[in-house]
This record gives sequence, structure tokens and C-alpha cells, in this order.
Amino acid sequence: MLVGASSDFLKRFSPFNRMEPEALGFLSERAVLAFHARGSEILTPEMGQPTHFHIVQRGKVQARQTGPASVTDYAAMTLGPGECFPIGAISAQRPSTNAYVAVEDSFVFQLPAEDFLKLMQMSPVFHVFCTQYIASLLNQSRQQLQSTFAQRAAEQQTMTTPLGQLVKKAPIFVTPDSSLRAALEKMSEMRIGCMVVTDSEQKPLGILTQSDLLPRVVLPGIDLQRPIGDVMTRTPHVMSASDSAYDAALEMATHGVRHLLVVDSEGRLKGVVSERDLFTLQRIGLRQIRSSIEGADDLDALQRASRDIRQLALNLIAQGIGAEQLTQFISALNDALTCRIIDLARARHDLYGIDYAWLAFGSEGRHEQTLSSDQDNGIIYVRPEGADPTELKNRLLACAKEVNENLAACGFPLCKGNIMASNPDLCLTLDEWKGRFGDWIREPDPQALLNATIFFDYRVLCGNERLGDQLRAWLNRTAKANANFLRMMASNALQVAPPLGRIRDFVVDDDGTIDLKKSGARLFVDVARILALRTEVASSSTVQRLRQAGNKMGIASEEIAALIDGFHFIQLLRLRSQHLDTEHDAPGDNRVNPDTLNELDRRILKEAFRQARKLQLRLRLDYQL
Amino acid sequence: MNWLTRLLGNSADTATLDAALRDALAKWEALPAPDPGTAHFETRYVVINTEATGLDLDKDRLLAVAAIAIDREQLSPHDSFHAAVEPDAAAALTSLLAFAGKGPVVVFNASFNRSLLERALDEHLGITPDWTWLDLHWLLPALYDEHIDRPARLADWMKAFGIETFQRHHALGDAWAIAQLMLAAQARARALGHNTPRTLADLEHSRRQLRRHG
Repeated sequence: MLVGASSDFLKRFSPFNRMEPEALGFLSERAVLAFHARGSEILTPEMGQPTHFHIVQRGKVQARQTGPASVTDYAAMTLGPGECFPIGAISAQRPSTNAYVAVEDSFVFQLPAEDFLKLMQMSPVFHVFCTQYIASLLNQSRQQLQSTFAQRAAEQQTMTTPLGQLVKKAPIFVTPDSSLRAALEKMSEMRIGCMVVTDSEQKPLGILTQSDLLPRVVLPGIDLQRPIGDVMTRTPHVMSASDSAYDAALEMATHGVRHLLVVDSEGRLKGVVSERDLFTLQRIGLRQIRSSIEGADDLDALQRASRDIRQLALNLIAQGIGAEQLTQFISALNDALTCRIIDLARARHDLYGIDYAWLAFGSEGRHEQTLSSDQDNGIIYVRPEGADPTELKNRLLACAKEVNENLAACGFPLCKGNIMASNPDLCLTLDEWKGRFGDWIREPDPQALLNATIFFDYRVLCGNERLGDQLRAWLNRTAKANANFLRMMASNALQVAPPLGRIRDFVVDDDGTIDLKKSGARLFVDVARILALRTEVASSSTVQRLRQAGNKMGIASEEIAALIDGFHFIQLLRLRSQHLDTEHDAPGDNRVNPDTLNELDRRILKEAFRQARKLQLRLRLDYQL
Repeated sequence: MNWLTRLLGNSADTATLDAALRDALAKWEALPAPDPGTAHFETRYVVINTEATGLDLDKDRLLAVAAIAIDREQLSPHDSFHAAVEPDAAAALTSLLAFAGKGPVVVFNASFNRSLLERALDEHLGITPDWTWLDLHWLLPALYDEHIDRPARLADWMKAFGIETFQRHHALGDAWAIAQLMLAAQARARALGHNTPRTLADLEHSRRQLRRHG
């Protein structure tokens, strides 16, 4: 009868109101009620693996994020009647990330951990509820990632950026009694376009800009020993650090000045904003980059566009874009850039009458290009009747060589393995490509399998798309008919296991890091490729392959979504590490030290690797490996 | 039962009971008395509540008994008991004893509940359990004087804590509310240094004294 008291209560809340009667009965029978006085800790990370699942019956419980990586908007969350915790920790059987503290005198039901797991098995409703909750952790982590970048990216973000954020360098200034010579030497040494003059409290008194020098100093023949105070512009234009970049642009336009002094709330100099700073701000937008690429007519302009693409990528992360869209943007702009480079090269090489397409391989082919990807490309073409094969190919190769070099100049490193269109082995006719692919499929030795992982992920970047489609249709048919080849591919894909430890969370390399490319993203990519070949999916993108092949194979859509989320999360971490590295001018790599991640990210990374394991397990079962 | 058997002691009484009940009672008798000095987190308290035809001890009869255990500061709906006194009062009360063991027991308003129950136990089983009785009627105002600083009705305390129950004025329904109050009482008592049934009993005692002399 008392069991009814618990179930009556639970039935008022989701998901318990939708729960199957026998599951609700099980829960009501096993949940016990405990009281937690205001201020007492119910569960903390230090308590280790949670022994109970909690459901608030009455009162308020606050979840506080602990550890150094806490982020404000998720720092505290209050749970009221009907809400439960810790779902993620207890499902994963690991210590909670949050500290749960009663902020009011609270009554809380608790269910032993083993009963929680039984309940998950028993009740599909509860299972979905918990799974969705864990999935929402992924979103939270994405938000955390965004706020990490927000600060730095805001510097170039929009015209609404406060000037305080736009000022990068510590202010450089002199007092009015400093000699002109000392001031000019300092300007030259620091490579600045103006010198600010302040009083002893660092409050601006005047400014002297480079353009003032000619009329005020050089032409009148002023003695450089005289104090700067004699020639400076008094009452300079000053703006508050909280004013926006837009305000500054307006001020400059109104008064025809190129420099504005930014001061803090007490009127002290904080820095200088120049016209050029504001110009940079306007330049970096998706549309602007796009049109600057299309309008570029020399390498210089393209190099600038390439730098802008990287900057935009950083901004986009900060604006809250997910890994999938982000890589799509990067890849769309890189495609535009590459096409423009090809256009410019074509103008200098005679390719008239040749039916061809520029192919991208590997990550670029999958639309998963990160910021440190080498160029991987090739050419597919049709030889016109009666053309001289050697002469024709040489023309294509010469053009390709220029494209490869210009791509390198724009920040796409030359491929160390010479997987480039200027390599005669990769500038082939449709029939030659078929022959090449066919050889690998018929005789899948280790090198052939490795080649397949790179070249089968091709797509047409510009040129005649139909050539790519014809090759794809042929490839899918041929691979599908060759079960042994797919089986070898599968066996190859299973060589690397997700770095999940039995005792520790992660298996790390000697330097304490995990290679997110080799032991992370590639696990998804490799399995997706095989599934796509088997189900004849035309897309080269891993996400699309998983989605389309998964649907064809009848994998539940939530399951597919979970796999894709896992893949995205790893991609996001990769992009993050590349961005952080770029800032230090170190080569971007794909390594992450799990100890430096915050608890939440660590937990999700573990979940992502579990998804990879799940995907591998499916392959293992399918091919009985 | 007549006054004579009551006077002569309980042996005569139990003799009239059937073998199963006698067994159960013997088992109960044989239970060791709990140490009133153990901490809350090691103690099984039994919240007992009664339902009677009315509130007049002289006229009204016991209808039902209910009990809920609070074992190691946790209230388990599973660990609960309810029995109507009719038709077999002896059986109902024996089961209650078996459920409650040797206490300590918790009631709300002992002057009514305890009296009614002790009378019934004596009448039907010839037993007066040597329980440590704790009365939340006195303990709650001693522990949570910021809510109510004098003995108050159950409904008032339920309101103070926002406690609900599935059925008021039902032996088990009210017991469910009383048990939740006991959970709160334990937590506060622990914070104030009253860590055991004995210290709670002392607190209640001094509170009654204070009231009497104050």
C-alpha cells in the first residue's frame, strides 16, 4: 500500500508518468526516502562511483559543477520535485562531475545503482529518457567549447564588439615633457602609427600621428629636443572601452581621424584603435570572404582569403556552430579557394577541349577537412579521340603543378606522400582510375587497402561532376560484388581499437595523450566507408555515409544519431586543439591529453569512444572477425 | 478479558492464543533489547500510528494499526505494515509486534496513540512492550522551533514541511506523513548533537518538564 504513496508521487512527473506499470512498480518498491537538511551534500565527486540514483520528492537540490573547468552558464542548476540525478555518472558507473547539495530541507528518493540499471533494462521509456539526457550533455559541452573561444574570437567578431575587447596591445604613451626625439624613436621601435601623450595618471592629453609629422615637425624644422607637448594635437578623440566598434567607425568618419584613444571608466588610457583595426573587423564574414575569393586575381589576394578562412572558422566556433556545419563551411570556402586557384592556373595553361574534373581525396574528399590537412588531390579526365596521350597529360600535369604550388602558398601543405594531381599516377582517365581501383579490390594487399581508405573517399571539387559519378557507380558495384575485399577492409578497420581502458578511463600514449585522428575519428571513418560500399551509398562524407547506410541497414535512428554525435564530438575536439595550436604557431596536431579536459568533456569523449566501439562491434559481427 | 486475568499476569492470556501466535510472541520476547545508545544511522526506528473510532480514550476503540520503519535514516515504503484490528485483534497486534521488534518506536501524540495501543496490547496479548517511545508531538517543536515553537497538530507540521500523504486520517496514510517528519527530525537532531534514541528521549523528556514548569 505504501508503494502506492511513492508511485502516486512519481506519476505526476515525466518520465515516470509514461513509464510502464511494472517498471513504475519496481521503482516505487525499491526507492527509499531520505531527508537532506539544507546545506548538506547529497552526492559529490569525492564520494566516488554513485551508489544511488536520486529523485527529488520535495525541496531543492543544486547541482554545482566542480573542478577548474567550470563554466558560468552551467555552473549551477537547481533540481526540484520529480527531477533526478546523477544520470550520466550512474549510467557510466563513474564518479559524478557535479556536487549535489540540498539548498532547502529536501526529501529525496534514492534507488540503489543496480536497481537503476535494472530499471533501464526493464523500461524502454526510462531508457530513452536517460539516453536523451546523456545526449544533451553533448550540447552542454559544445556550449562550453563555444564560451572558451568567445573571448578571443570576439576581438574580430562584429561591429558590436566593445572597443575594450578590440584593444590588443598594452598602451604606449609618453608624458608631454618627453623630447620629440625620444617619442619618435619609440614610435619607430614599436612600429606604431601614433604616439599618445598622457599625464602622470595615464589620462590622455594629446596625440601625435605619423601624418602630423610632415606639417608640424619636418617642414617647420622643429628641434627634436623640444617637448612633444608643443606639437601634439590637444584634446584627442577619446572613446570609452564599452563603446562599440560601430561607434568608433562613426566617430572616425565624422571627424576624419584614423586613431581613437580608448579609456577605462576612470579616464585612463587603455589603448588605441586604428581605422585598420575596424577594417579587419568588417572584412571577415562568410559572404565577404566568398566574394573576395571570387574576385581575387592574384596569389596575394588568395593568401589573404585563406587567412580569413581560418579566422572565420575560429569565429564560427565561438558563434556556436557544430562540427558538422563548421567543417562544411571550411570545406565550402576551401573549395571556392581551390576552384579560384584552378581558374587562375587554367588561364595560363591551355586545357581547351579537355573534359576533366579535379578530385579531392581523404578528409577533403569527405568534407571533413580540418585546418591542418595536407592537400590530397588528383585529376580524372577523358582523352578526346585522336589526341596525343603524352602531350595531353603533360599539359594537365603542368597546370596541376601550378595549382599544387599555389595551394601550398595558401596554407595547404604539399602532400608528403605526393598524393597530388601533379603526380602522373594520379592524373588518370576514367578507365585508368577504374583499372587502378579494380586492382586494389581484386588483390587487397596491405598497400591496396591503405590506398582504398584514401582514394575511395574522393569527390569532384570542380570540373565535370559526371566523371566522378560514373566512377562512383562503378566502384560501388564492384566493391559490393567482392565480399572478400570488404571483409579485408573490415579486418583492417578493426586493427585500431578505441582507447578505452579497463582500469583507467583512457589508454594513452607515452606522452599522456590520445591521437584523436588515429584512435578516434578514423575509427568512425573506416567503418562508415565499408558500410557505404556495402549499401552503395554515393556520399563520401562519414556522417552522410553513417546516416544513409544506417537507414538502409535498419539501424535505429537514435542509434545512428548517437554514433554521429560521438564522431562530431571528436571532430570538435580536433578542431579545438588545432586552433589552440595555431595560436602558438605550433603545427596543428590531433593530440589531446584527457587529463587537461574538464570532467564533462572527458565523460563525453569516453562516450564517443564507446560509440566507436559499438560501431566496430557491429562490423565484427557482420564479418565474423 | 476480565480484570482478573489482567491482574494475574500475561501467562494466562497467552495461553488462550493459538500456537502460531504464541510462537510469534515468544520470538518477539526473545529479541534482544536494542541499545538506546546507537546512532540514528545504525538504528531502526518504527513509526507507529493508530486509527480509532474517535479521539476519546474512554469510549473509542482501536480500528487499525500501521507502522513504517525508518532503517538507518531511510524510509522504505517496502518496510511498512498495516492491519485492521477486526476480526482478529490478537493476530493483528502480534504482527505489529513482530514488525516493530523491540523498538524504539515513534508516534505523533503519545498521550493518545500510546495509551490506546498499550491498552489494546495488554487486553489482547497481555503484553506491555518495554519500548523507548519517542513523541514527535514534543520533539518537533524542540527541533524545529523556527517553524512552530510549541506542540501543534499533525496537519500544522505537514504544512510547515510541505508534506503530503495519500490519505489523511488513515492509519498508514498518517503514518507516512509522520515518518517523513521523523526523517526531518533525525537530520536536525543529528545536527544538534542528539545522535541516538536515548538523547532524543532525553530531549523530549526535558521538553515536557519545561512545559510543565514553564
